[in-house]
This record gives sequence, C-alpha cells and structure tokens, in this order.
Amino acid sequence: MAIHKIFFASLLICLLFQISHGATKERLFSDLEKGALEVTATPSREGVLDAGIDKLSITWKLSSTATKEAEFTTIKVKLCYAPVSQVDRPWRKTENELFKDKSCPHKIITRPYDKSPQSFEYTLERDIPTGTYFVRAYAVDAKGHEVAFGQSTDEAKSTKLFSVQAISGRHKSLDIASVCFSVFSVLALLVFFVNEKRKAKIEQSK
Amino acid sequence: MDIEGRGGESGTTATTTATRRRFALPVDAENKSTTFRLFSVAKPHMRAFHLSWFQFFCCFVSTFAAPPLLPIIRENLNLTATDIGNAGIASVSGSVFARIVMGTACDLFGPRLASAALTLSTAPAVYFTAGIKSPIGFIMVRFFAGFSLATFVSTQFWMSSMFSGPVVGSANGIAAGWGNLGGGATQLIMPLVFSVIQQMGAAKFTAWRIAFFIPGLFQTFSAFAVLLFGQDLPDGDYWAMHKAGEKEKDKVGKVIKHGITNYRGWITALAYGYCFGVELTIDNIIAEYFFDRFHLDLKTAGIIAASFGLANFFARPGGGILSDLMARRFGMRGRLWSWWIIQTLGGVLCASLGQIDSLTGSIVVMLIFSVFVQASCGLTFGVVPFISRRSLGVISGMTGAGGNVGAVLTQLIFFKGSKYSKETGITLMGIMSIACSLPICLIYFPQWGGMFCGPSSKKVTEEDYYLAEWSSKEKANNLHLGSQKFAETSVSERGRATTHPQT
Repeated sequence: MAIHKIFFASLLICLLFQISHGATKERLFSDLEKGALEVTATPSREGVLDAGIDKLSITWKLSSTATKEAEFTTIKVKLCYAPVSQVDRPWRKTENELFKDKSCPHKIITRPYDKSPQSFEYTLERDIPTGTYFVRAYAVDAKGHEVAFGQSTDEAKSTKLFSVQAISGRHKSLDIASVCFSVFSVLALLVFFVNEKRKAKIEQSK
Repeated sequence: MDIEGRGGESGTTATTTATRRRFALPVDAENKSTTFRLFSVAKPHMRAFHLSWFQFFCCFVSTFAAPPLLPIIRENLNLTATDIGNAGIASVSGSVFARIVMGTACDLFGPRLASAALTLSTAPAVYFTAGIKSPIGFIMVRFFAGFSLATFVSTQFWMSSMFSGPVVGSANGIAAGWGNLGGGATQLIMPLVFSVIQQMGAAKFTAWRIAFFIPGLFQTFSAFAVLLFGQDLPDGDYWAMHKAGEKEKDKVGKVIKHGITNYRGWITALAYGYCFGVELTIDNIIAEYFFDRFHLDLKTAGIIAASFGLANFFARPGGGILSDLMARRFGMRGRLWSWWIIQTLGGVLCASLGQIDSLTGSIVVMLIFSVFVQASCGLTFGVVPFISRRSLGVISGMTGAGGNVGAVLTQLIFFKGSKYSKETGITLMGIMSIACSLPICLIYFPQWGGMFCGPSSKKVTEEDYYLAEWSSKEKANNLHLGSQKFAETSVSERGRATTHPQT
C-alpha cells in the first residue's frame, strides 16, 4: 500500500515537471515601437524631490515618426527605475518579456488615447521609494496589449533623470512607545530576579 | 491525545529522599512523566510543556516577522539584495552563540529563569524595529531579535527534565514543532496586521513599523507567563532545590568538557544544521521567492510561505513520535535509521524545489519537502537526550547552535547578493543537505549500537556509558545519582525485536 502511494506521488511530481517546462510565446518589449510618443517630465523644483509633496509636470503627444497610431486605444503612464536604482535589486530588474518586466511598477495615470497633446500634474505618491527615475508612456491597443511607447529619457536611460527621496515612515510617538515597552520588559525581568533571590534567601533561612 | 510510554510499568515509583510528592501523571524514578497528555495543563509536567512551546513560538514569530514584509521594508529603507542577505544571516547568527550559552545556563540556573531572561532582554530589539531608518539599523535589529531563538534549547532541556525516555522524543518534537510553527504563523500574521493598520489610515511605510509591536508584546507576555506559572523540575525550582541540598550544583568546566568531548554532539550539530538550518533559511527567503518569481501579491506570497512553517504543527511532532515508535521496536538503532532516511529524502525534495517552474508544482513540492525536513528536526531530538546525561544542556545547546550555523553558512554561500538566483540556491542547499546527513551513519553507542553495527561485544551497559562521565571521587560524593536513575530508565533503548546480548 505504501509502495502504491510512493509511486503515485512520484508520478504526480513527474507530471508537474512536464507542465512546468511547457513554453508559451510571450510579448516582448523589443517588439514595441520605440519613440512613438514624445514624453517630457519636469520636476516642480530643483534637486531631490520629496515623495508625497513634490510634483512632476508630465506631457505626452504623438511623435511624427509613429506608425501604429491606428491601434492606440489607451495610454498608460508609468514611473520607471533608472539603471542606477536597479543595481543589486533583482526585484526591479528589466526583462524583455513584458509580463516579467519589473522596472516600471508605479502607475501614474491611464487615459484614453487622444490625438492632441496631453498633460498631467502628478504628485509623487507617499509610497514611492528612494531612487532615480524617468517616466514612460505605453500605448495600449483594444486587446490590452502594449504596442508602442515613449519615455522622458534617452534609449540608454541616462539623461533627464530625476531623484526622489521617500518618506521615512517614522513617527516620534512610535519611537517613544518603543522605549517605554523596552524599559518595561527589562524592568519586569529585574523585578522577577530580585523576587527569586528573596524567595531563595527565605527558603535558606528556614 | 495520549501518548503512553512503557517506563511507567517497568520503572519503580520510588519516593524521593524528601517529602513524598503526588503528581497528576504517572512518573518514573526521577519523577519525570511517563505519559504525554496534550490537553492537560496539570502542574508541573504539562504546564511546563504549554508554557515553553508558547514562549518559543512567540520568539520565532518575532525573529521572522521581517521576511513577509520585506517587499515593503526594502523600499522604505532602500535595501539592496546584499543588505537583505546580510540581515537574514544576522537573524540566525546571533543565536549560535546564545544557544551554546543557553545550554550551560539551563544546567546551572534552570530553564525557567534562563529562557524568560533571554526573551525579555531581546524584546526591546523587536520594539526598536519600529524606529529603524537605514540598512544598518535593519541588520542590527534582526541580529539582536534573533538571539531569542535560543529559547529552543531551554524548551528541549525543560522537556527532557520533565518527560521520561519513552515519551521524551514526542514531548521534545511537539514542543519544538509548535514553537517552530511561529516561523510559519508570522508569514500570515504580519501581512494581516500590516493590512489592517494600513486600512486604518496609516501610510505603507508607517504601517509596517506599527505592526512590529504585536510580536514584541506577545514575546514580553509569554515570558511573564513562564516566570509566574512555570517550574524547572518535577520536584520544584532550581533555587529551591539548590538551597535544600536536593540538587547539587555541578562544576561548569566539567559539564562543558564532557559535552564538547562527546563526538556524537558534533555530528548531531552538523546534521541539525542541514535540517533545521534549511528550515530557517527557507523561513527567511520563501515569501520573497514566491513574490518575485511568480508575481504574487504580498498576502498570497505570505500564505504560501506560511504553509511551509505551518506544517510544523504535525510534521516535527511526527518526527519525534516516529522516533519513539521506532525505539520501541528497534531501540536506538531504529531512531538513527529513521532519522537518516527522512533527512536525506528532505534534501532530495529541496533540490527538486528549485528546479520547478510552475507555481502549483512549487507549492506541492514545497509542502512535501516541509514535512520531511521538519520531521528530521523532530527525529534529531529523539536521539539528543541520550547522548549525555551530565551535559544534556551542553549537547542540546551545541546541536541547537549547529542548526543556526547551518542556516548562516547556507545563506552566506547561496543566498547573499545576486550571485546565484534563488532557484539555484535552493537546489544547491538540497544537495548540501544530503551530504551533511551522511555523518549520522557514524553515530555509535556501545550499549545499543549504531546504524551499521550492533552493540559492543564487550557487553557495555547503559550504566557504564552514563556513569563514565563521573570520576570515582564524584561518585563517592553521590553526585552521579541523577545519571544512575537515567541509565536505568534508558534500558528501553535496547528495543524489542533485537536479540540484545544482555536481555
């Protein structure tokens, strides 16, 4: 009976291996039309921007070199990491397969496609991490698949980048609570110790 | 749930030299319980069990509270993969030293005081996590909070002091398993607490900080419970018995010497490094692994990661119970064989986990793997109580510390920075597990045998083995009586089916 269970289990595992190695054709970033949209992102002030406070002035319009314009249904504007913020951080890695790509996780705005130039005043969200960024706009067709894009930086992602400093998330009240509870724990321990020593002395004097 | 041992029938219920004490459970010559009643909280045996596993559970929750929230914490503190790897190593390395010390502390001060002192003094590290602002702060709080994992040693020591040979594997396995459960429970608790706090209006980067007060408070209050309701030995607390002259204080140097010169303690330390060490490593990396590799959200990744640790509820106790069952029929040799087989199979499953690309496949293999690796931990501590009687604390401490060393080494070699992908790291960890389980074949007890050899032809008895730890001068002063009693009850490790030369 045990043999049957082991056999069945190993069959199941083999089956799962087969399923997991099946290949599907995925949509690639390199297939998208580059520079179809002209995107600019202008910070509201000089220097490092503060998350939750500072703004970006974002504009996008159709580029003269675009060819797939007929398919554009929606424009998705996203905040993307510059290469320097991706170093030693595999969870922000750029991948060619679009569904695997993690370099543009922060959504800015999604709008239906309009021929006229568009703009948006974006206040940096409070959960944006510290890092260096640029803005990318994807043109999406009716099926929800990306067909083209444009970005505020060059192809090497080295120009017109801007830096953001995240909120710390710390609060004075939290720091005070930490100190209080810690002191309480240690004091309680000392009280117990002293009490035990006292009990031992009483026991000894009996 | 009742687990019956056979010690109660064969052992004598001799009265102690002091007043005659009556217990709720049947006891052996050392007043250790010979049965295990899970749903009882009777003083002192079952109460000690429930207090110790719960305290250990809380320490595990605190130590592994960060990993399920790492996707948020890494953005708040701007951590790199190297920082995260270093913090993971730090979280398990502090307790290497603490576990060794805890073994000796238990031998000298008793498990109640030793464990509560550690738990209360590491709680501040958990509270201060709310205020960290840099990678260094993150590494430091994980380092200091990790010391609390040494309560494992006090748990095993306490169970070995309260429960007799035939049920000690089960008691140790269930207490440790339910403690280790904390590593799984935290993967569920922390994301849940985090989302509740977030819904109450806190920003993401503040909500995770507030969440850390929950494990901190639980840790503090579990220590209070141990101090208020616990008792070191069936006959009383260490301090009461020291003063009454019932328990002689042993010499630290001698206790340590007899511990470290016993080669079996080193083998169990290495083997434990590759079952428990693997479990700790997985606790640290698995949530992020599922989050990043399969594009899941925080809560889903947490649930899957939790199921690994939650298997501890039955898997580790199962290992302990299996050890006791094997011992009934095959004695110590049965304990050793079952341990080696289960641990090796765990390594094979670990190696396969890294090779699987599909989400469903990964979950299934991970679940089976978790049962095997956690059962191996239970099987380890079915053997440990018999290695030494005088230096039980030191051997438990060494083995426990070895578990953490395994976790440190594994994370250092395979999971630091971006050198190996996590999948490759997991496979390599499985292979290393198989290799480091081989030394189990070398463990040999002259009175019972080893995996490949029977008991010694020189007719060595249990008494010879355990009393060899005491000099004739010490025996003349009657310091060896505890070991004597233990030797008598450990005769059950000869097993039933074998034709032992002395039965």
